[in-house]
Amino acid sequence: MLILEHISKTYGNKNEKAVDDISFEVYPGEIFGFVGPNGAGKTTTIKMIVSLLAPNSGKITINGIDNQADILGAKKQFSYVPDNPELFEKIKGIEYLKFMADVYQVPAAERQERIERYLDIFEIKNAVNDPIGSFSHGMKQKLALVGALIHDPQLFILDEPMVGLDPKASFELKKIMREHCDRGRSVFFSTHVLDVAEKICDRIAIIKKGKLIEVGTMAEIREKAGSQESLENIFLELTE
Amino acid sequence: MKEIITLTKLFINESLGVSLFFYNQKYNKKEFYKQLFTLIIVPVALIPAFFMYVSLMSATYFGLTLINQTSVFLSIGYILATVLIIVFGVMYILSEFYFSDNIEELIPLPISQRKLIISKFLSILVFEYIFAAFIFIPILIIYGIGQGMGLLYGLLSFLVFLTIPVLPLSLMTAVIMLIMQSASLKGRKDMLQIVFVFIGIAVIFTVQFWFTSQLGSGDEADFQLLMNTILTNNEGLLNSIGYLMPTSFLMAWTLNKITLISLGWVASLLGITLLSCVLMVAIGNRVYLKSIVSGKIIKKGKQLSGAQRSKVLGKKSHGAMAIFTMDLRLLLRTPVYFFNNVSVVIIAPLCILLSVSFIEIPPEDLQGMQEFFRAMPILMNFLLIAFFIFFGGTSATTASTFSREGKASWLTRMIPVTARDQIVGRTGVAMFIQSLGIVFTIIAVQFIFPLPLSTLVITSILGILGSLPILLFGLFLDMNRPLLNWDNPQKAVKNNLNVVITLFVGMAYTGLLIGVSGLLGYFVNPILGYVIFVLISAIFCVVFYQLINRRLEAEFLNFES
Repeated sequence: MLILEHISKTYGNKNEKAVDDISFEVYPGEIFGFVGPNGAGKTTTIKMIVSLLAPNSGKITINGIDNQADILGAKKQFSYVPDNPELFEKIKGIEYLKFMADVYQVPAAERQERIERYLDIFEIKNAVNDPIGSFSHGMKQKLALVGALIHDPQLFILDEPMVGLDPKASFELKKIMREHCDRGRSVFFSTHVLDVAEKICDRIAIIKKGKLIEVGTMAEIREKAGSQESLENIFLELTE
Repeated sequence: MKEIITLTKLFINESLGVSLFFYNQKYNKKEFYKQLFTLIIVPVALIPAFFMYVSLMSATYFGLTLINQTSVFLSIGYILATVLIIVFGVMYILSEFYFSDNIEELIPLPISQRKLIISKFLSILVFEYIFAAFIFIPILIIYGIGQGMGLLYGLLSFLVFLTIPVLPLSLMTAVIMLIMQSASLKGRKDMLQIVFVFIGIAVIFTVQFWFTSQLGSGDEADFQLLMNTILTNNEGLLNSIGYLMPTSFLMAWTLNKITLISLGWVASLLGITLLSCVLMVAIGNRVYLKSIVSGKIIKKGKQLSGAQRSKVLGKKSHGAMAIFTMDLRLLLRTPVYFFNNVSVVIIAPLCILLSVSFIEIPPEDLQGMQEFFRAMPILMNFLLIAFFIFFGGTSATTASTFSREGKASWLTRMIPVTARDQIVGRTGVAMFIQSLGIVFTIIAVQFIFPLPLSTLVITSILGILGSLPILLFGLFLDMNRPLLNWDNPQKAVKNNLNVVITLFVGMAYTGLLIGVSGLLGYFVNPILGYVIFVLISAIFCVVFYQLINRRLEAEFLNFES
């Protein structure tokens, strides 16, 4: 579903690479967790996947489409929710959702059904006619999630999705992520909440200072680390 | 005091992006050179305007010496500077005190409200002093040299200058704070800002047209006679405004004739200025943070039923239409954007209407004009076309289209919308606003002399077509160098060099286009004039369209680099 091959990225004229020659693959039907300390290169990697940044080298393929050769084709395959979804403050929630449905060309019946369903799940139905500027951080995140789910993407990409969500919304999101993958689609998300990553991810990648230091299932990571400890302990050992 | 200085420095740093500038110097050379270029080019571009202003003021002083009325020269300058400081200051006050994001971070800190108010006020003052210096110092110098004034005049002038922006700004800040704290205005801050700006503009235009109406008929248009009429008339503009700004008399008494009493007058001026600051801080101390908290309350929409939601969501739109609607909503609902990009289409036709109402054109003159234009329709057509292009070129809507989205631009860059749809949607908004301007202008012009339908059709179509290359040029610029890192929407437009460049390039292009095709149409053949106009416009449209279409998706990847 998602293949990264030798991706590197340097900002400005800094000599230090934000992302340094990373390669991994996300398979159809799996939830893939991307973990690492602050400044490790998680968000930069995600931004390159979702075509917000161009890599200096390497290739990214989304559902068989090279995201640099066919940018638009690749964009149709995924949806993305950033860690701090800055949305147009003067726009009403419902206008934002209509906009998302329009740009992804979602048929009328499907968009209505999906939006109603997710508005119910995230409990923002009553606020959907308010300007986004009046939303709390968590509500903005919920709205961005609904907007991202409107076109039922092949690949659902989330940057720190649990930050800002209330416990019920977090629970619901995890459920949605699993259901999404059960239908043969994939979820790729970055997180600091290692407990969540350990529980819901089929496979995990650990990044440190721009380099990928581990990829695999929890069992594989434990085996390589030679311990049966939690992901948190293994993560601390690997990233220190 | 130390805290106030630190806060003031912080606000100035934030407004100017000083830290970012030095960060870019070290780590992002490309961005640094862009900023450096802006830093150099803007003052350089303003030099001709400044010299024109100095020449105008020198001529005014010379004119006043001829009628022995030099004493009002300083008053003219003082009133001019005060009015301009108020007009531009309103936006700065609202932005710094009410629309800047930093206040949310500062409220929880143990900083007294008084210190916050003083620091914010001081940070505005720094910019207003620079502005006031450009307006008022040439006047002080011209008058000083003209009157052969000495050192004491210099010292007193300096003290007077110190008071110039403080007094109007402190009073304005106090008034704004009082209005913003009103409970009845909760959730209506956007509307308030638009109302404030329009009131400011209305004041300027009313004064302007009143002044123009004093000209009377063409025979009295002689400069000296005009000044005589205005200056000797007790109901004249200067006296009227002078009574509204009594400090202008204090300033005049201080500087017109330097005696020991001048020291008393300047002390009074300084005292009044200080008092106005104390008053502003006292009012702010009672209401400022309270109004900030209530101002954060945004008016909520009505709850929608399932059927209502279905109705809204059920209408499927094309990608270009989705971009068009989103861009237009942002323009209309963000006061700064509305003022900068939309208001011109309301103001310009209003100017036409106002000028007709204030200036009485004798019927025989009007008939003469109508006959003149009927005899030479090509002239009228190209004049109107130029005016219509003005709406497209000057509003610079496309030149800030990506910049206006700021940090939310990730969404625009992430969605699968073709470059073609982006171009159509975004230029469509600019053309829609321009079309409004055209319709309003046509309605306003009809009051002076009704135009034939053929003129209206030709000028409207060519006006829109002629402005399209400027719109696409603006889009091309903003695609290449968007200004996304702002904490206040004003910066997306006001600090955006793309807007300035598009404005100047647009004006030059319009002049050339109208000049070439108009001359050909007038001297050779009207049809040839129109054909050349269409050809030039079409060629530039195709060139810019292709450039944007090919590069837009790739440029989206560079927005954050």
